[in-house]
Amino acid sequence: MILELMIALSVGAGLFGVGLYGALSQTNLVMIIMGVELILAAALVNLVAFWRYLHPDEPAGQMFVLIIMAVMAVEMAVGFAIAIARFRVRGSVEMEEARELKG
Amino acid sequence: MTGMTFQMIFLAFFGAAAVWFGVVVFRTHSMVRSALALLFSQTAIGAMFLVMQAEFLGVLQIMMMATEMSVMAIFMVMFMMDPGGMGAMDMTHQKRLSLWAGGIGLLSALLLVWLPDWGPVAMSVPSAQQQTEDLGRELLGRSMFIFQSAGLTILTAMVAATMVAIVPNAEQRK
Repeated sequence: MILELMIALSVGAGLFGVGLYGALSQTNLVMIIMGVELILAAALVNLVAFWRYLHPDEPAGQMFVLIIMAVMAVEMAVGFAIAIARFRVRGSVEMEEARELKG
Repeated sequence: MTGMTFQMIFLAFFGAAAVWFGVVVFRTHSMVRSALALLFSQTAIGAMFLVMQAEFLGVLQIMMMATEMSVMAIFMVMFMMDPGGMGAMDMTHQKRLSLWAGGIGLLSALLLVWLPDWGPVAMSVPSAQQQTEDLGRELLGRSMFIFQSAGLTILTAMVAATMVAIVPNAEQRK
């Protein structure tokens, strides 16, 4: 039974690693958003696994999943709005060309 | 074979699919394929939720991600220089650093998963109907403030996203 929990958490770890690689390595804003989506998906898998295998009687675990889903939707909406604004001004969403955003 | 063994096999299968399609997202040159791979990855995660007997969340994940990824595919075609991937353009930078960061992140997460003792594991879960009822009571009871805050955050994000995306009129440009 503990193996199921380990498998689910390992999948979360895998998604986190792939998402981190994607978010750091991609030059296009939309692809970076995809990487962040994968990192958030890793959090979703972990939360459901913790709820299912450790505290199935506690609905707060499922509530956290809904909050992360809301975060995913917000992240996409704001990310795409920035992409539209950037595309309008510069004609591209390549982050290599957005060096002025660097602090 | 017991129900639990089946659960383990399906979890491993859908989990492997989710991670594999996650890798495909960054390996393919075609942006539409990337969006579709992400859709498959998120759907596999939804299937994992169903295997873990979280029916409501599983169905919600699949429905929400299908819509979200379709929107993403449209944005990909709109904003990419080479959406079809015909030119096989390299769209990456700092590859070595990213690989190290991803690898170290993966390894440390795996260590955190496999080293601790997670204690006793629950064998049974409430029925799907009971889960949904409990979740509804949780959202409209103890966690109402958090849930409403999430709603307000989404509303703020919607307004902010629209304001950022619209074309400023001549008067605002001055």
